[in-house]
Amino acid sequence: MSAVFDRARSAGPLLSRIVAAVFGGYGLAALGSVAALALPMDKTQAVITGALASFAIYAGAVVWVFAVRSARRAWAGLLIAAVPLGLAACSVWSGGAAA
Amino acid sequence: MTHLAVFLLSTLGFAGLALAMERHQEDLFGHALAATATRSLRMAGVAALLLALGVIVRAQGWGVGLVSFSGHTSLGAGLVFGVLIVIERTRPRQTARR
Amino acid sequence: MSIGAEPHPRGIRQTMSDLHIWAGLLTGWFLYAMFLTGTVSYFKDELSQWMRPELPHQAEVPDAAGVAQRIADELQKVASGSSQWGITLPDARNNVASAFWRVPGTEGRRAFQSATFDPATGHKVSSRETAGGDFFYRFHFQFHYMPVLWGRWLAGFCAMFMLVAIVSGVITHKKIFVDFFTFRWGKGQRSWLDAHNALSVFGLPFHAMITYTGLVTLMALYMPWGSQTAFKTPAERQQLTAELSAFIQPGKPSGQKAALAPVEEMVRQAQARWGHDNINRVTITHGGDAAARVSVSRGDQGRTSVSPQYMLFEGNTGRLLETKDHVGPAAETRGVMYALHLGRFGDGVTRWLYFIVSLAGTAMVGTGLVMWTVKRRQKLPDPDRPYFGFRVVERLNIAAIAGLSIAMAGMLWANRLLPTDLPDRAAWEIHSFFIVWGLMAVHAVLRPAKRAWLEQLWLATAALALLPLVNVFTTHRPLWRSLAEGDWVFAGVDGMLWALAALHAMLAIRTARHSTKVRPARRAAPLRPTPSSAGERA
Repeated sequence: MSAVFDRARSAGPLLSRIVAAVFGGYGLAALGSVAALALPMDKTQAVITGALASFAIYAGAVVWVFAVRSARRAWAGLLIAAVPLGLAACSVWSGGAAA
Repeated sequence: MTHLAVFLLSTLGFAGLALAMERHQEDLFGHALAATATRSLRMAGVAALLLALGVIVRAQGWGVGLVSFSGHTSLGAGLVFGVLIVIERTRPRQTARR
Repeated sequence: MSIGAEPHPRGIRQTMSDLHIWAGLLTGWFLYAMFLTGTVSYFKDELSQWMRPELPHQAEVPDAAGVAQRIADELQKVASGSSQWGITLPDARNNVASAFWRVPGTEGRRAFQSATFDPATGHKVSSRETAGGDFFYRFHFQFHYMPVLWGRWLAGFCAMFMLVAIVSGVITHKKIFVDFFTFRWGKGQRSWLDAHNALSVFGLPFHAMITYTGLVTLMALYMPWGSQTAFKTPAERQQLTAELSAFIQPGKPSGQKAALAPVEEMVRQAQARWGHDNINRVTITHGGDAAARVSVSRGDQGRTSVSPQYMLFEGNTGRLLETKDHVGPAAETRGVMYALHLGRFGDGVTRWLYFIVSLAGTAMVGTGLVMWTVKRRQKLPDPDRPYFGFRVVERLNIAAIAGLSIAMAGMLWANRLLPTDLPDRAAWEIHSFFIVWGLMAVHAVLRPAKRAWLEQLWLATAALALLPLVNVFTTHRPLWRSLAEGDWVFAGVDGMLWALAALHAMLAIRTARHSTKVRPARRAAPLRPTPSSAGERA
């Protein structure tokens, strides 16, 4: 029985990483695609740029999640990357309301 | 004609690069070549590849040309590689190789 | 595999290798199908011609202007009152014109009809009803028997896994260029790894490009957040659409009837600008109404981009309203990436290069899948009773790889053999594809694995090789006639079928030899070491 618990316990970090990679990665990529609107260029071009780059962000995030030593670091990395993107995206949302 | 020339140059270019590797020199000639020979082969290989790029870009422009170049070099590398395999397979085995 | 907080962290190459294997295994069967149907799609127009043998070989491309006029006249009859007609003109590889139109009275819903037309007469083609090579093309990115959006999401999901597999594969194999040239042939599991590596490396520029650009083609679906955030009104969204496609909003009809000005003249102006044979599409909104608009789009030749370039005319006067010939830098980048994926810009040689390297990509995915079972078979404690997961992968490999070839050939057999007056004939050709595939899946489960591989590979060989023969007996286009007439499309497809049959035969022969050489590394109670197992530790 304890073998089952052991397996469940060691599966925890793995599941955490999978969630971080699949969903966290997509979230980061989506955030990036919105953050691109803060770039100093025509709005339409910025939208396209954001979408074009998003897949690289997603792939990079997935590789990061599995490359680092622990699930905790994986999440930390995603959250740290999300900060500048989030700030840029926020400025877009609030700026958009004013424009 | 242009395509043929570019393909041949790409293949020769990769052949030069492959031959400049010690591993293949050992396989093909039984020993590593002199440093100058190796360097010349490598330079000739690079030169052939650059020439191929020049020819195809002149014929097709940068957009289409770069794509064609990528295709010809991919195929050329694959061909050189295939030939190396065939050579290794058809050589009489001297010792048990890993 | 257990990745988590561990006392002895595994190196990055090992974790990336694990990531690569899982990413590849979870989506490999879909990716193989996407790769193979995508590869075939580079010649989908030629395949479509072959699947409509009643239509004669097109010796030269008909004048776009004349064809456009004829089709437009025909659409006035069969699709009058429709707010939108989209006409695709024939080109060097396509001997038919096609058109789709919005069913009148269904504005707001997606309701379209489409048909194929004879460029010489403007009337609907009289040839067997078939989806042609376009079935494989659409299957490639939206599969079948499911809502289009689901299919595209599934394809995108798999493409994302492919991208991760490529990146993790490159990281794992950091000494990639040195190792590339050191293939060892014929030594059990190691040779599968080397074949997979070789195919991956020599086509790496292509595989990376095709995967990323594939995601880009549907990026509006996968990443709509930027545009949703930035654009609140339909007018703003139209700004974006204008940068991405030549689609013109139909707008409101005026209600006033007005005859459409000669479309021929409008196309001629576009031909003067972009080349006589470089016009590929004419879109007409509210034809027959005073508010009609006609847009004539540039063809694919001469540039590596699909960014919209078109001339917009006032429908009932023929007056030029707008010439769109450039888009912003990001839009042009996206246009280039899209064009790189489609590969329609090049000449014949470039197309063949695409095809060959794409076929190598298909083989890359296939060798990866097979390698998984070969590697793990060595470690099985009892090779006659493998664990469930292994059996699943093994059988799926057979059905997804060998079975797919048979299914694709099966569709071509159906194209030749189904009665021409069968209702829903085009749909039945497609059903045949899936029926054959399903049968092969059943076969893969019922037979012993190695037998299943061999039987299916030989069946694929026969199915492909016999098709030109079926062609002789069911059409008036046998191979010798095609060669005599210089009909390279028909001769090319027949030839390709034989080349692919030969490829499958080679695989079958290799599989037969490989089966007898593989021995498991451990047996329950070895009586004495067999020579092959001693020598097989590669």
